[in-house]
Amino acid sequence: MNAPSNRPSAEGEKQEQPMKQHCEHHAECIKKIQAILDGEATESEKEHFRLNMDKCMPCIQTYHLEKCIKEALHSKVTRKPCPNDLVAAIKAKVNS
Amino acid sequence: MSEAIIKEGYTDDQRYEIFNREFMPHIDSMYNFAFRLTTDEDDANDLVQDTYLKAFRFISSFEQGTNAKAWLFRILKNSFINDYRKKSKEPSKVDYQEVETTYNSEEAADVTYTVDLRADAVQDLIGDEVATALNALPVDFRTVIILCDIEGFTYEEMAKILDIPIGTVRSRLHRARNLLKEKLKNYASSMGYDA
Repeated sequence: MNAPSNRPSAEGEKQEQPMKQHCEHHAECIKKIQAILDGEATESEKEHFRLNMDKCMPCIQTYHLEKCIKEALHSKVTRKPCPNDLVAAIKAKVNS
Repeated sequence: MSEAIIKEGYTDDQRYEIFNREFMPHIDSMYNFAFRLTTDEDDANDLVQDTYLKAFRFISSFEQGTNAKAWLFRILKNSFINDYRKKSKEPSKVDYQEVETTYNSEEAADVTYTVDLRADAVQDLIGDEVATALNALPVDFRTVIILCDIEGFTYEEMAKILDIPIGTVRSRLHRARNLLKEKLKNYASSMGYDA
């Protein structure tokens, strides 16, 4: 993700930056993106994300990939429920 | 408050009541965690039973109103490390140390580390394939992903369950996810998906 631009712009002129195709600090960006998807990002990380997310193609792709993996883990991996006989065995042992 | 005083504070009826009200509702999550750690149904049965009996025995050290699920997961994780991992044939400990060493080295610290995997390829995978990739991870890395992405614990809760600082939770999750992406990519490629 880009650092926030501090360049002054002419009044009324909108600065259009070309989409970045290479992210020079991508490892750090991945960590921030993961924290955001985990709901654990700091306010400054969230702000940085909000300001820069649409400017860097590798980070946009990473966001979608990380989101997909997180969703796949949460919704596709079968949750094994506890067998009923184990529940009964535990209750019996505790009450004995 | 000392443990002895807390212990005196719970009558037998209260102990059963706390056990049933606070601990038993988490048994499916506990079993799922045990199964994902051991990858074996019999071992998961034993681990969950041992954990619940320990939880009942040490119920005096559980403070009502605190996070019962995290408290139980911590006991299960410790039981797994102490009792099951030792006898496990899984070579994960060696793998883990190797991976930790690699990632913790100075050279690796700032290197951009990305796995070329497409989101579409992940969407094409079915649950069993994702689970297989997850199971292939060294257990310490598998654990953080299970706790965060499957069980939905916060970093703070994970830090307590695993007895590690929050910063370590964050970096271990990052490493675990990079490894998972590699496994998913290999899996997707081997299945003929365009990864």
